[in-house]
Amino acid sequence: MIVPLALLVVGLCAVLGAWALWFVVRDRAVVLRQLWGGAVVEAVLVVQAIVAGVLAATQAPDVDGVLLWGYVLTQLLILPIAAAWAFAERTRWSSVVLLVGALTVAFLEYRLLQIWGTV
Amino acid sequence: MKTRSTASGPGRLLVAVYGILALAATARGLYQVATKLHEAPVAYLLSLAAGLVYIVATIALAKDWRTAAWWAVSIELVGVLTVGVLSLTVVDDFPDETVWSAFGQGYGYIPVILPFLGLLWLWRTGRPAETT
Repeated sequence: MIVPLALLVVGLCAVLGAWALWFVVRDRAVVLRQLWGGAVVEAVLVVQAIVAGVLAATQAPDVDGVLLWGYVLTQLLILPIAAAWAFAERTRWSSVVLLVGALTVAFLEYRLLQIWGTV
Repeated sequence: MKTRSTASGPGRLLVAVYGILALAATARGLYQVATKLHEAPVAYLLSLAAGLVYIVATIALAKDWRTAAWWAVSIELVGVLTVGVLSLTVVDDFPDETVWSAFGQGYGYIPVILPFLGLLWLWRTGRPAETT
């Protein structure tokens, strides 16, 4: 995996998570601007998936393909689900879910680096 | 008797965490069973079984199917405690990790905390809706 991209993902997730945590403390539901923030993270994840696909195809690294793509797809699913719930649950608990989602995406990023053999 | 939906408010967090574990355990179990079942059949089949229990729990909590949720969360509690003890005592049968090994150590001990929260939540929401 591309380390700068991974750091960007983790950094953005930390910001989004902190923003969500602030809303949890303030007893507020997720707002649309946070979902735009989530969309930015999602866009970086899509770029990363494409880069990983190109690298896997051209460099033939010693990586377990099933494992890698399982994690990549899972990571792509999490924020859209959290966003869908933000519309359904208009209480502080949508913020808690967004926080958990951001942390999960960041953790999966760490696992991706492990699978790729970077760390 | 009208009760609060298990999917509302804090329940939504519970459904989210159950969903993530369902995905993690099922994907891991399928992958292990499909690629290296002979290495540790007990552990890998247990991974898959745990994943299926989590899937049932996730759907039951999300759909407010209380009976199914009670069953799934109870089985999960028994499972994580049993496998947790066995993985530490009968190490030979667990050469590789499962979701429930060492009480869910590999998953931040969330697997051993979650069923207690699940049962607490089912009990809380199972009482008639209050005026608050």
